[in-house]
Amino acid sequence: MTTDNLASRMARLQAAINLEEGDRVPVSLMMGATMPCRYKGISQGELYRDPVKGHRAVLEVFDELGGYDAAGAGANTSREENLLDAPMRIKVPGRDIPEHDPIQWEEVEVLTHEDYDKIIEQGWNDFMLEFYPRFRGWDPAEYTTRIEAKATKDIKQQKEVMKVWEEKEIPVYQVSYVNTPLMMLSSCRSFVPFTMDLYRIPDKVEATMDAMIDDLIEISIKSVKVMGISLPTGIPAKSLVLERGGSFYYPLRIFERFEWPYTKKMVEAFIDEEIMPILHFDQDWTLNLPYLKELPRGKCICQFDSCTDIFKAKEVLRDHMCIMGDVSPSLLSLGTPEEVEAYCKKLIDIIGEGGGFILGVGCSVPTNAKFENLKAMVDTAKNYRPTRAA
Amino acid sequence: MSQLADALASLDEDEVAKLVHEKINTGIDAMSILNECRNGMDIVGERYKSGEYFLSELVVSGEIFKESMKVIEPHLRAGKQADTLAKMVLGTVKGDIHNIGKDIVNVLMRAAGFEVFDLGVDVEPRVFVEKLVETEAPILGMSGLLTPSFESMKETVEAVEAAGMREKVRIIVGGGVVTELVGKYVGADRFTSDGLKGVEICKEFARELK
Repeated sequence: MTTDNLASRMARLQAAINLEEGDRVPVSLMMGATMPCRYKGISQGELYRDPVKGHRAVLEVFDELGGYDAAGAGANTSREENLLDAPMRIKVPGRDIPEHDPIQWEEVEVLTHEDYDKIIEQGWNDFMLEFYPRFRGWDPAEYTTRIEAKATKDIKQQKEVMKVWEEKEIPVYQVSYVNTPLMMLSSCRSFVPFTMDLYRIPDKVEATMDAMIDDLIEISIKSVKVMGISLPTGIPAKSLVLERGGSFYYPLRIFERFEWPYTKKMVEAFIDEEIMPILHFDQDWTLNLPYLKELPRGKCICQFDSCTDIFKAKEVLRDHMCIMGDVSPSLLSLGTPEEVEAYCKKLIDIIGEGGGFILGVGCSVPTNAKFENLKAMVDTAKNYRPTRAA
Repeated sequence: MSQLADALASLDEDEVAKLVHEKINTGIDAMSILNECRNGMDIVGERYKSGEYFLSELVVSGEIFKESMKVIEPHLRAGKQADTLAKMVLGTVKGDIHNIGKDIVNVLMRAAGFEVFDLGVDVEPRVFVEKLVETEAPILGMSGLLTPSFESMKETVEAVEAAGMREKVRIIVGGGVVTELVGKYVGADRFTSDGLKGVEICKEFARELK
């Protein structure tokens, strides 16, 4: 057996994206720092106060797992990306919640009906430049300086992280996020009031989304480019957060009007700029799967969190789009290594058949995932070879 | 189907408000108006189960129901509150502040005729137990989205056991990532990741408790 290096791992990853069968199914964990910190005895509060400790813990867990095939880097870093952050209240461990609880986002109505009119008039960027400092309680005069300083620090830190992955010969694909307009508004208005808006004032919501989309695309592209990820060490990519617009929440007529046109526009704009869209689906999107065939073939990754029927996704998206997923949070945190191994083998057998599959976790690695379950997942990808029918 | 039930099932917010006010103003018994609204909610539930309606329609109908209740409730005769199927204590467990699923379940449970004691989010096991003791509710519903919530659910079930109440209380857990594995691990009687299914399960509990 030959030793893996950057080229072999990248070839494996690219084969999956190109819908081909590589030497084996690649495995990539969406490894945030919450699980590695818990596992290494670093409190969640300490992680919030000193993210560098989180990066170190991720690297230690990576090494202890024996490594996997691709890593993410570049979580919200740039000045532009600050505008992509949904303005939501956060509960900080050690400050608002107990020291060992993971950070949480509190979904409350921070945008009002009047804000729709302002967004329609100003566009998203100008609206946020005015709204965000007010929302955070910052002096507007200090806002730009403050964000520039944070961005400079974050970019420096992320580039250091990328350098470490490069030294380890692990390809990096960027996993910073952009919310679709629907996800952004649903988060900031909160789910129930936003749903009522969709039924009571649909035209205004649509006009607001129309006023947001170009700004969200523009700042997303800038935010990827600033990180300077490129082949052969990495793949420039952007994750689209897709949770609220799918069939778990809304009928297709709402998806078709308020989610799909904007998602499609984002995906196509990113591909034009040679940025790979990662469609990060949370919750059940099974009924929406056929629409994905309208997107360019072999240019995106669809990441499922265990709520969408991934086996149905394979049927629909076979030979069209790379699928990633979907070892569930409950299995990773409560299951046994044997159960994880059995499920990973099933995924490799069925979703991996014919290529176009990356073994991954549902959403991201949950805070209390068992180390031995992650190890079972990584080892199964490395060692299991399905017997294919001739 | 009455005009009011039909308007609610069709999510016609203005028509429901108009009809409820008209009926109240003409002195129609508040309980019968409430029952018409509940019939409308039942039809919404059937349409959801058949795939015609989605979660958003449960939410919209729930909001219309809530608005209607604000008008109807003051007219329910003193001492004759709305008939209830059973009492239920509900909350998002310790360490988790996600409220959306829990709030939707609260509205659906009320519309189905349960008396719900909603303790909010980040609820300590002790607080759940105290409320169960105080209200003598035979159903406990716990919600959580994050995986650490599984431990809190387990601790709460253990606290109910320690209080000697486990035999009397049916326990259901729910949330976006709650699976059979979670239900078993925490020691709940039932689990669901579907709000309306949760209501159906609680109706089964209520029948068993009669």
